[in-house]
Amino acid sequence: MSSPAHGRAARALRLRGYGLAWAGGGMLIVLALVAIFAPLLAPHDPRAFDADPLLAPSWAHPMGTNSGGQDLFSQLVYGARDVLVVAPLAALFSVALGAGIGTLSALAGGRTDAFITRVVDVGLALPKLPLLILLAVAAGPSTISLVVSVGLLAWPVTARYVRAQALSLRRREHVLAARSFGGGPVYLARRHLLPALSSILVSGFVSIAALAVLLEAGLAFLGLGDPQRSSWGLTMNDALQYEDLFFGDSWLWWLLPPGAATTLAILGFTLLGVGLEPRLNPRVREHLT
Amino acid sequence: MARALLVHGATFLVLLMLNFALPRMLPGDPIQAMQDRGSASFVTSDKARAELRAYYGLDDSVVDQFGHYAANLLQGDLGISIRYQAPVLDVIGERLPWTLLLLGTGFLLAAVVGVVAGIHSGWRRGRRSDRTLLALLIGVRNFPPFFVGSLLLLVFSVQLGWFPLAGASTPFGVFGPLQRIADVLWHLVLPSITVALSVVGTQYLLMRNSMVGELGDPYVLLGRAKGVPERRLKYRYAARNALLPVLTLTSFQVGAAINLVVFVETVFAYPGLGRLIFDAAASRDYPVLSGAALVLTLMVLVVSVLLDFVYPRLDPRTREAR
Repeated sequence: MSSPAHGRAARALRLRGYGLAWAGGGMLIVLALVAIFAPLLAPHDPRAFDADPLLAPSWAHPMGTNSGGQDLFSQLVYGARDVLVVAPLAALFSVALGAGIGTLSALAGGRTDAFITRVVDVGLALPKLPLLILLAVAAGPSTISLVVSVGLLAWPVTARYVRAQALSLRRREHVLAARSFGGGPVYLARRHLLPALSSILVSGFVSIAALAVLLEAGLAFLGLGDPQRSSWGLTMNDALQYEDLFFGDSWLWWLLPPGAATTLAILGFTLLGVGLEPRLNPRVREHLT
Repeated sequence: MARALLVHGATFLVLLMLNFALPRMLPGDPIQAMQDRGSASFVTSDKARAELRAYYGLDDSVVDQFGHYAANLLQGDLGISIRYQAPVLDVIGERLPWTLLLLGTGFLLAAVVGVVAGIHSGWRRGRRSDRTLLALLIGVRNFPPFFVGSLLLLVFSVQLGWFPLAGASTPFGVFGPLQRIADVLWHLVLPSITVALSVVGTQYLLMRNSMVGELGDPYVLLGRAKGVPERRLKYRYAARNALLPVLTLTSFQVGAAINLVVFVETVFAYPGLGRLIFDAAASRDYPVLSGAALVLTLMVLVVSVLLDFVYPRLDPRTREAR
């Protein structure tokens, strides 16, 4: 197993893994910069109807205007904000919830554990988008309601992994030793549990963030987002609502860019996850080669 | 087995409650929505509106409403659709076959492509063709289904005119049976490809991982040593075993596919349950909304129960483990 060829392959894979993580991280950093400097980058107010409708790209309107005369480039730029607020917050909320419930389940054991496990099973089987649509309509299309509903729907996966890991960890010798020296639950969780769970938490965070991007854009695409905010899904929804979209060139700068941007954001999170996984979880390294 | 049934039962009950509660938390009430839409169902008289509220039981206590709902449900009565003015069961029954057709075709396509690619990729892991497939299919998985659908529609229906713009069949078309089937299939091509493209990446990754796992097993080495031909070793030995765990995970996939159905059917104006849910949310048609969500979940549960039942028969090893 420690032949030079294997060592070389492992090194190449590690480098490739980092390459993917950098590529993904890079995409997200670019999006974050765009989101932060949106007011400087966008030449117009993204929601203002202040130009002629359906203009082709020009210096004043780098990506033309939509049927209402709104500047499409500005909408694209401001759209980065929504995604980069919703996705990390929803993922953070969901992972924290899942980790807390999973740890509780493993540490409590007995009936509590059995009960939580059933709840997780049920949670995994619930259909996400129909419920999300219901929640989005019920709670109104605000950022907070979106973060909370995605978080509430996505936690069971994390909880299941965390519980399994915490259970196996509880019986490991270094943890037993720490307990026999009088380490309390908080100390144990912070010193031993959290580091051992980091790979699960990071990959959970990244995959839920990718899901959140999809769902945020998807809800707006279905016309269930906040009509006052600029989001890529909403721009696409506008585009497809416009009946003559396909009978000119305007789809090229109206429909394509927000779709590509959404894809890029999802891809960014996915690549970050795929790239970090071999580093965080050595077992995956063997699996990939 | 008993545990699995218990979980499925509990899931169904929770869903029943969510389905009942969530639509009733929506802002505005259906009668209000009917007024807003100003459609054929517009009711002007105050007396008629009060009668409607009484008819739908909107003034009863929540517990009474749930009891009423559950009792009716057991008799197959999901209520009357506010928008379509028809029994919800009929409205859903009309749409369900289209969704099943769309999902079935999409899944079949994805399974065939994903499994074949996964077998190949796992067999040649680390090589160039494996890496290309891996990059390609992980890439495809990241495209949002509504974007993929819009692009396909744009290129193949609008620009090239090869496929229809919307719907599941040509309205008012008078055809013979064979032409009718061809017409339905022609409408099915783009939506089912969109479904397949969104699912294929996961199928492929599962199959590839499972295949890589199998190849580490001693029986593969033994097969090699005694001179089993590569083709036979690859398909008859490794792939057959690797397929089983992929099958179990299909039930999770069906659950995730419900997200897809809503997006894909909305883009292609396909008359299935996903589109129905979308329309019902927009017009606050509570009975249809909860009925459709319920039927979709029931579909997932049925698939998962079936797999729980079928799996031990396919893989004797899991039978012993129980």
